[in-house]
Amino acid sequence: MPAPRYRSRSLRRVFVRVPSGKSVLHYRKRKPSKPTCGSCGTILKGVPRERPFKMQNMPKTFKRPERPYGGVLCSKCTRVKIKAMTRQ
Amino acid sequence: MFEIGRLCVKIAGRDAGKKCVVIDVLDNNFVLIDGQTRRRKCNLRHLEPLDKIIILTKNASNDEVIRALKEESIECEEKKEAKHKQSQRPTKKKAVNKKLEEAKPKKVKTKEAKETKKENTETVEKAEKPETKKKSVKKEQKSVE
Ligand SMILES: [Zn+2]
Repeated sequence: MPAPRYRSRSLRRVFVRVPSGKSVLHYRKRKPSKPTCGSCGTILKGVPRERPFKMQNMPKTFKRPERPYGGVLCSKCTRVKIKAMTRQ
Repeated sequence: MFEIGRLCVKIAGRDAGKKCVVIDVLDNNFVLIDGQTRRRKCNLRHLEPLDKIIILTKNASNDEVIRALKEESIECEEKKEAKHKQSQRPTKKKAVNKKLEEAKPKKVKTKEAKETKKENTETVEKAEKPETKKKSVKKEQKSVE
């Protein structure tokens, strides 16, 4: 039996290959939910799904697409928004 | 729709939201653009046409495009400044070196000062050592008692 704190499924299980060749169970915290578009709600592309300590060490260009509203709106919604702004 | 001189807004990519002019029509799908954006080939799907047409020759130079856009009160960043900044880098390094050379004699002075300080500290330590010895002696006496 695993230790009592590892019996619930609040931690995810990861099989890690150890230098000796064995595969060992490790328990890690779950990843946050996938980032979504602010207007239509689809899952954003080009935004990694990592815990904040890993996101901190990543450069800014790894964390969102490099366009206006990158990491907030999906590409389709930005096109619609920019078109609407130019017509005003 | 996308003839030479057509003012457009770029919708996709890192230049999205910036204004540009069509300089050349390459294909059914592609045109050459310049202006606030970088001068580059562009898919028509990534452009939103506006109602203005600027009078320009085919393959007009960057300066001509910027001048034409200024008359329409659309200002562009000048790309030449970035190059100048790059050329200034070595001059900055030289300036730093000069500063270091000037600072060198000062450093020597500071070293001398440090040596004098060291001597002072050594004398202080010498003065302190007997006290510590006395303390240790006292401790020994206590242990004996
Ligand atoms: Zn969206």
